[in-house]
Amino acid sequence: MYRLPSSIFHLPSSSINYNMSSTVYIAGAGVISAIGNNGAEHLASFEREEAGMGEITHLDTVYRNKLPVAEVKADTKELASMAGLPDDMSRTALLSLIAAREALNDAVIQGLDGLRIGFVSANTVGGMDRSEHFFIDFLKDNQKGKLRNVYDHECGSMTEIVAEQLGIRDFMTTISTACSSSANAIFYAARLIKNNVLDVVVAGGVDAITKFTLNGFNTLMILDKARCKPFDEHRDGLNLGEGAGYLVLISEKVAKASKKPYCTLSGYNNSNDAYHQTASSPDGTGSYMAMKGALEKSGLKPSDIDYINLHGTGTPNNDSAEGTAVKRIFDPRYPPMSSTKSFTGHTLGASGGIEAVFSVLAIKHGIIYPNLRFETRMKELPFEPEKRFRKGQKINHVMSNSFGFGGNCTSLIFSKI
Amino acid sequence: MSVEKYITAGCIITKGIIYKDGTSVFENTHDNVEGVLASIYQYFRFHYPKYYKMDNLCKLGWLAAEILVKDSFQKENYQPEEVGLVLANANSSLDDDLKYFETTKEVSSPSLFVYTLPNIVIGEICIRNNFKGEHAFFIQDTFDAGFIEKQVNYLLDNNILQACICGWVDVVEQDYKAVLFLVEKKESEKSVRFSAENMERCFKNAGS
Repeated sequence: MYRLPSSIFHLPSSSINYNMSSTVYIAGAGVISAIGNNGAEHLASFEREEAGMGEITHLDTVYRNKLPVAEVKADTKELASMAGLPDDMSRTALLSLIAAREALNDAVIQGLDGLRIGFVSANTVGGMDRSEHFFIDFLKDNQKGKLRNVYDHECGSMTEIVAEQLGIRDFMTTISTACSSSANAIFYAARLIKNNVLDVVVAGGVDAITKFTLNGFNTLMILDKARCKPFDEHRDGLNLGEGAGYLVLISEKVAKASKKPYCTLSGYNNSNDAYHQTASSPDGTGSYMAMKGALEKSGLKPSDIDYINLHGTGTPNNDSAEGTAVKRIFDPRYPPMSSTKSFTGHTLGASGGIEAVFSVLAIKHGIIYPNLRFETRMKELPFEPEKRFRKGQKINHVMSNSFGFGGNCTSLIFSKI
Repeated sequence: MSVEKYITAGCIITKGIIYKDGTSVFENTHDNVEGVLASIYQYFRFHYPKYYKMDNLCKLGWLAAEILVKDSFQKENYQPEEVGLVLANANSSLDDDLKYFETTKEVSSPSLFVYTLPNIVIGEICIRNNFKGEHAFFIQDTFDAGFIEKQVNYLLDNNILQACICGWVDVVEQDYKAVLFLVEKKESEKSVRFSAENMERCFKNAGS
């Protein structure tokens, strides 16, 4: 097994600068969230403008009937049978396998056995859902509790379980940078291909809803007690969601021998405003630098972007910081934009991967997703998000934003071939 | 490739006494931890509004790092990405965790919650100094100088970093101790060779 240190900034010296100008193609996509178990179901939900939030049904918590969440519509047993894994497995690993497998099957790559293939998977909760089961018994009696339930606690365990199931042995790593995690996984995968370390990478991320995250976000007082309203003047926080989203990234060489890829990953950037543990700087410095850097990388102008998939969590802080940054870059000509978190909730470490899948599908099908429940434009912004589902659009370039705690901000740009 | 490395500065805060490069520079042995930290901040005339919102672990680590780099570190000799941190302690963020846990009985405190991780102290030091290099925080029963030496050697020998602040920052209730070393590749007037033995010696001299 070939593994690197967790940092996304260091590549092995032997691989540097082999063919830095080479294009990275997107050959496959897979997604599971509260609005569908695969790509096709997601497109149908978007067209029906049907959000996935509801009362808590699967998570055992005191916040049931108090806080809406966007759960995947299947209990852990059902997910296990979909994934073909035992049902005492972490929900995180199950969601990950279902979406990653869909992506790999979707890509239909010929002669996969002869290629160098990697799995770069992000998550923030690891097997925390099982750990929480363990502590129910353990706290009552420290001789009780199944240790099997804490065995896969680590974030890296999720990646290992899924890589094993997918038969990926050349390379794997886990990235955990809060809510930009899986955007950074895709970013890193692109660099692995550009530096000729790998030919094919399944990259994205996953997170399951856990008590740990629900209680944590509740402590931070950023959960909306109703369905979230991203980019609305009267927004009141986010809804927690869960799911997984993966893309299959391939090198130019592999692309030539495969079916026509969806699009390219033309730009990416990660920047940090180092302002606060959980909040963005009010002027959106980190998000501004990420969007600007991604545009520079792709060689595109702001006016070339046809759709922005916003980070748009629905918290007062994020939307105001992100909105300010969007204004700085795009004013006075704003492309259509929306937060699909109004459908899926905020899936944390999975959001960058899930929304990258949406961005790729937007190019493929020429669609713009609506920003549900938007009513009132934010006072400080001269623009507002798209309210209705639109198809038949000419979409050449899509920007996808993912901004995480700690000011860890990433923007990706996908471009039509 | 292994290169020679030097401890070019050291700072210890323990039992109300602060040592810079082995010499006592300030004493306040009669106060509790809060009083000691406040008196250090005032004595050195630091001015950093973000300091006041920090938990005790961050305050302790931040103060030790300030005193460590003060008059000893030529930041302009390095790129932000070339300076990093490797820290360890025995009690993680337990001091703040306990205070946070108290508040969950009434209204959970967001401002205590955001410090319930030990590596936040590294973030505070990096934000203050614009350090952007690799960093790691380890939880160990006791100060393991050999382990820290290995980590720092790896980072500097492979040119992942050119300078590294390493050591121990621990606080739980009224027990606290910070022992920080500045490690660089260039010798200076007062520097000693970077080694587990030299770190161990400083740590022990500072008492436990």
